[in-house]
Amino acid sequence: MKKSRLEAPSQWKERILILRKLGIAWAISGLISINALANINPPSSEGNAATVQQQKQITGKVVDNTNQPIPGASILVKGTTIGLVTDADGNFKLNLPANAETLQVSFVGMKSQEIALAGKSSLNIVMEVDAIGLEEVVAVGYGNLQKKDITGAVSSVKSENFNKGVISSPEQLLQGKISGVNITSSSGAPGAGQRIIIRGQGSLRQGTGPLFVIDGFPVGLAGTGSESSPLNFINPEDIETMDVLKDASATAIYGARGANGVILITTKRGTTGISKVTVTSNVGVSQMARRIPVFSADEFRKKVVEVGGRLEDKGGNTDWQDVLTRTAITNDHNLVLKGGSQKTNYYASLGFLDQQGIIIETGLKRYSGRVNITQKLLDDRLKIDFNLNTTVESGENCNASTMVSQMIGLNPTYPAYDSNGEPTVFNDILNPLIDAKLYRSFSESRRLIANISPSFEIVKGLIYKLNFGYQNTSGDFDYQAMPSTIPFERGRLEQSFSNGRNTIIENYLTYTRAFGDHNLSVLAGHSYQETFGRWRGWSIDLFSPTGVEPHYNPGLGSELDLVDNKPGGWASINELQSFFGRANYSFKGKILLTATVRADGSSKFGDNRKYGVFPSFAAGWRISDEPFMKSSPFTNLKLRAGWGQTGNQEIPNKITQALFTTSVGASSSYPLDATSTYPAGTTYVRLANPDIQWEVSTQSNVGVDFALLKGKLSGTIDYFHKVSNNILLEVVPADPIQPATTYWTNVEDMTITNDGVEIALDYQHKNKDGFSYGFGGNITFIDNVVENSPFTILTTGGASGAGLTSATVNGYVNGYPIGAFYMKEFAGIGENGLTKYVDWNNDTKDSDADRHVVGSALPDKMFNFNANMSYKRFDLVLNFNGVSGNKIYDNTATANFYKARLAKSLNTTAAAVEYPEESNINPASVSTRYLKDGAFFRLNNATLAYNLNTKNFGIVKWIEELRLSVTGQNLFIITKYDGFDPEVNQDSSDRGIQSFGIDKNSYPKARTFVFGLNLTF
Amino acid sequence: MKNKIKIAFLGTIMVLGFGCSDLKEQILDESLSGGKLQSDIIKGSVAPAYALLPDFFLHTRYFALQEISTDEAILPYRGGTDWGDNGIYIDLHRHLYTPSHVRLKDAWNNLVTLISRTVTAINVLTPIAKSDAEAKIYLGEMKALRAYYNMVLLDMYGLSFVKEDPNEVSKIIRGNDAVEYIRTELESVQNEVSTTSGPGRITQGAVWGLLARLHLNAAVWREPYATNFNFKPEDMDKVILYTDKIINSGMYKLSPEFFEIFDDENHTNKELIFAVDQRPDLNGHNRLAYFSLSGDMFPLPNFPNANGTDGPAITSDFYRTWVQAYGATDPAKDARFFKENLVIPVDSFIAGDKFEINRGIQRGQQFGLITTRYGQPFERGANGTYKIGKLRNITRADKNKLVIHTEQIDFTTEGSGYSTGYRVEKYEFSKLSDSGRNKGQADIIILRYADIYMMRAEAKLRKGDANGALTDVNAVRASRTARTSQTPPALAQMTLDILFRERGFEFYWECQRRTDMIRFGKYEGTWTEKTDSDIKKRLFPIPQSAIDGASANVGYLVQNDGY
Repeated sequence: MKKSRLEAPSQWKERILILRKLGIAWAISGLISINALANINPPSSEGNAATVQQQKQITGKVVDNTNQPIPGASILVKGTTIGLVTDADGNFKLNLPANAETLQVSFVGMKSQEIALAGKSSLNIVMEVDAIGLEEVVAVGYGNLQKKDITGAVSSVKSENFNKGVISSPEQLLQGKISGVNITSSSGAPGAGQRIIIRGQGSLRQGTGPLFVIDGFPVGLAGTGSESSPLNFINPEDIETMDVLKDASATAIYGARGANGVILITTKRGTTGISKVTVTSNVGVSQMARRIPVFSADEFRKKVVEVGGRLEDKGGNTDWQDVLTRTAITNDHNLVLKGGSQKTNYYASLGFLDQQGIIIETGLKRYSGRVNITQKLLDDRLKIDFNLNTTVESGENCNASTMVSQMIGLNPTYPAYDSNGEPTVFNDILNPLIDAKLYRSFSESRRLIANISPSFEIVKGLIYKLNFGYQNTSGDFDYQAMPSTIPFERGRLEQSFSNGRNTIIENYLTYTRAFGDHNLSVLAGHSYQETFGRWRGWSIDLFSPTGVEPHYNPGLGSELDLVDNKPGGWASINELQSFFGRANYSFKGKILLTATVRADGSSKFGDNRKYGVFPSFAAGWRISDEPFMKSSPFTNLKLRAGWGQTGNQEIPNKITQALFTTSVGASSSYPLDATSTYPAGTTYVRLANPDIQWEVSTQSNVGVDFALLKGKLSGTIDYFHKVSNNILLEVVPADPIQPATTYWTNVEDMTITNDGVEIALDYQHKNKDGFSYGFGGNITFIDNVVENSPFTILTTGGASGAGLTSATVNGYVNGYPIGAFYMKEFAGIGENGLTKYVDWNNDTKDSDADRHVVGSALPDKMFNFNANMSYKRFDLVLNFNGVSGNKIYDNTATANFYKARLAKSLNTTAAAVEYPEESNINPASVSTRYLKDGAFFRLNNATLAYNLNTKNFGIVKWIEELRLSVTGQNLFIITKYDGFDPEVNQDSSDRGIQSFGIDKNSYPKARTFVFGLNLTF
Repeated sequence: MKNKIKIAFLGTIMVLGFGCSDLKEQILDESLSGGKLQSDIIKGSVAPAYALLPDFFLHTRYFALQEISTDEAILPYRGGTDWGDNGIYIDLHRHLYTPSHVRLKDAWNNLVTLISRTVTAINVLTPIAKSDAEAKIYLGEMKALRAYYNMVLLDMYGLSFVKEDPNEVSKIIRGNDAVEYIRTELESVQNEVSTTSGPGRITQGAVWGLLARLHLNAAVWREPYATNFNFKPEDMDKVILYTDKIINSGMYKLSPEFFEIFDDENHTNKELIFAVDQRPDLNGHNRLAYFSLSGDMFPLPNFPNANGTDGPAITSDFYRTWVQAYGATDPAKDARFFKENLVIPVDSFIAGDKFEINRGIQRGQQFGLITTRYGQPFERGANGTYKIGKLRNITRADKNKLVIHTEQIDFTTEGSGYSTGYRVEKYEFSKLSDSGRNKGQADIIILRYADIYMMRAEAKLRKGDANGALTDVNAVRASRTARTSQTPPALAQMTLDILFRERGFEFYWECQRRTDMIRFGKYEGTWTEKTDSDIKKRLFPIPQSAIDGASANVGYLVQNDGY
């Protein structure tokens, strides 16, 4: 296939260079204008007076409590925009207006201070570490709270603690950072979807995941475990914090969408008085991290003969895992502009990501831009936040799953290349190198998300806020089979187009007031959200092999018929209308009470159940603030308890309504006479159920937050008990004679219970000699069980491979967890050379009835560990994560590694010849033979960075900060699993029931080294 | 300040008002109502009641259940890679089916949906039929069709459903109640339906034929687990009554060429009484022609993607019944066993439009179009001719291995090869089937004229009239005159065993074998890879999904004995 000019990497590099030059020019012009703004004094009368008076100068130094200088701390004259940041030695020199009274000093991770000038001309400012983060502000949905006032289970991760490296979906930033949150990538492919399970799986259905709220805008894209991440449109560089709401008292404010947890994403904003331009440039080098030990060509020649197979020897010596993978280069470059005057703050970024996949002919490219502006008006009573984000993501891919099955299964004696260095053309098989050129897909998705949220302080303490957001996505996807003579391919093009929009309008009032020792904050509001989506597709066949790629000109195709090329499509529109309220009360900051309620009405619900009400209550007691704790070692001790109900409204569209369609089609029409005009048949496709409603999850949570040793050691322990009922399922009607064989209903009595304990600890130590270190970790124990299911078994997780049609891997039965594996137990090889299974039901017959639960795909323990060290200008961060108690069904092995394939000259691992007595035709059926321990422990990422002393190099005028870093991702893994990677979760759902823990020719994971440069001007 | 507050509140209220919604779900991509002319409403309700028949008669559904469970067909795990399908076909053959058997569920779902569609149609047609003659005919037809579907359910799962009002819960009936219900329904419409709209639709001939089939099997369906079935003389008289009516109507004719009954153009063949009308541009599948054929056989010169699949073959036990009947003579002497279409020219090259694969039972080395790999162009000669040669396993690993169909086929290593077993190509491989799977044209037989004679013969025989039975059977044998040298010779005597054997010769792979084996008391017998003799296996289990769905309604849908 001819490469298009656009794709050539050198062309891209040029373009990036141009972009960067443009960006710098833009940055410089931006700087000039912003600095100009910043230096103009506010046009108030006081300001004018100030200019008349003589200015004073103040010098100072900012240090931490170990007397280490703090460079980059922000100094601002209170009530003005006059300010700067400290230099590399923590020093500053500032011209003060005559009326200046107070300086505000702040630095990330330190407690902010206000310092009275009181005529001083030099200051030594000692900042205190905010180790326990009590002052930290955490987003809680429709507002923020200080961490010390929170009563629910909320975990928050700031950008500086995100996982580093090549990150193509923002979920990866959080992996291993938060207890109770299980993040599993569906495969190692660039941009692959991530399945996030917060506090255990509470629904049977496919596409259930947490709600994502970005700057107050619920993106309405619940659904993970899919092929690509729903969050791919956000540039990870733009994210300031991710707050995970875990318990019901925290998520109930999101009502019918809160049952699977809520992740609030806050993007970065500008800071008053500080203008910065940051360029980050990362280049990643990735290679396949683990190989599957299939036979080498020489071993293969021996083994095929040994098992009595027919050796097809083409004389080559090919390692197909080498041939079909590559050292992949990722370029990730970002330009960020940040700054602000007294009335306006801005943040703007431009990002470019070009990630090559480690499998040949795979990868993705993404361009993203963001502008966040905050404007204050009317004596700062009116504040307007504006966010605009646009992203274009494109990909050109071969069929990666074919490449995976070929790289492990292809005969290694077939030479990959012929004597001319071209991919060999085989008579009997298609060389995957040719396959990768013939069968390709092209995709581009474009996303725009904008929201504006003005807030107005009507009277003191009473704030009205409006939130208006609009999201638009569009995408096209082409699959093409390139016409070819040798090897023969007729040529085919499938095209599909999708687009969607998401509009939200919210109004709410917040009233905050203190009455002596009593503090009260009340919130009430209304929300209306509408989402629209549609998809259309068509195809055409039979192209002449002229070299023109079908996706450039579908008109060259010459065969269209309604059997093979019938166009398809769907469109749906959903509405969600909600009323919500919350009250926070605190007594002396010690006793904290929170109550929330949300009433959600959804167009997806049945006519009889339009609105669901979701309440929650929580209380907190800051024991450490009590007088009797004065002499205790605890600097913080808080007890929290909460209860609440949330819902899961992510149910399919239209299921409450009966559908009868009138169409001419194979399943609805029939010839009633000799003519070829067929009557349009009217058929019921779906039965009505006006009682359909949300799934309900009821969760109780008890937790303790603590800090000891002057805040050096801090931690959290939570216990939760979550029961989901009203389980929504597509079921078979009691009376079989129904127009449709299934209908949707809520199975009221059926429950899915998740019980768990989460423990998180963090220790930070700082020495006077500039050496500091810290370590932390968390562990989660979780137990999941299904009860009162009216179904003997709900099977899902369709296996794939020759002879595996209709075989399933997962089965959910009473008394066992969601994600359970349900299959026959392997009992060795019988005398006839065929597999023996455990006769589970003791009926002496080998049948389906011998299947039973043999393990679960969901771990019952998850643990994460991180460590950081810094010495002078070096810092090092290590993140480890792992799980245990789970199993993986290795469908890759079932489909590829068995003796019958080896005997047919297809490559396998040594597992295929494990049993010498096994017959050459023994089929590989679904059984525990291929069920493997999924526990692992991984060094997920490690970053070593050096901050250059720009002052010593004399470039501080030009470059304020220069940071060099190297990050290793997926550096090592300890696991018994012998597939590519134990972290795998390919969606294999059947009838909408979610599958778990299946490895089916999954895209291998990469080990990546990223070299980063971070420049701040 | 006060103004500001007012403005803010006013703004809030306006915005709230703008946002309010009644949350009525908008449907954009489906029409929830029909809304058409009366004539469209009639046909629009009738067509769906037939529409799932091609689906039901898929190779993996009714065909597999009725044939792979018997001695006529066996489907091993070919080469350890093909048709393993989690053991479902092996279980079916060994009578180890369980309520979770996926094909039993698929077939059940087809049948219950079809019954529901007839109920819908009956409710739509009943008011219209009072004034509309066409609707009246269709109404009778729908009742007959409902009875037919219930009869198939009774045969397979041992129960039938009575449902008149779509809003009421169906009544489940079994045994004699079900037989009587189906009988009454069919009898009530025998004079309402058309006589000429067949074979794709139910006609008077079809109703009579179904009544004959009902009475012939009534003894089994009343007491499915009986040690000896009680074939009542009055039932047999009814069989004779209805078969006589059909024969006397003069509407049907035995086909001189046996395989024309299964050709692409069989819709006009006078032997067909009731069949699934397949059209290539609507609902036709080619699965019955594709299923057994070698994966290395490409029957259509125009379509290099159309091949067989190495599915089931006949068991050697069934083949031996032919050998037993014909002794030293090759059974290919019987027109029904084999029709040679492919005579290889001396130079091995043939014009595309002359190329035609053999029909019937294929044995030994297979010949056909030559290619190097699936989907690649065929080897050509001068003037656009095609090379014909010995077929090899080009779609398999051992590409040089010849495609030789052997008599031995079983679940052992040798017996499970890609080419083992004698294959059946009864239906014509649709000339339009570019993928080999789609665009079927042949109508799939439900009831044909030969069966009328064979049923009458059986009724006579069960009443003791062996001579009468012999005459009817020989009439069918003698009718296949298109290839005179292959016309089956007349039989000299008639017994139940001979009649059973003869039904196999005539109706092999026509979805009758399981029913026949049970009626003749042979289903508990032993044949290749099958030893189970549990009489409870005469009925299939009701699918677990249906049992689970009805679990809240205790005692309503009861699982069949033995499962």
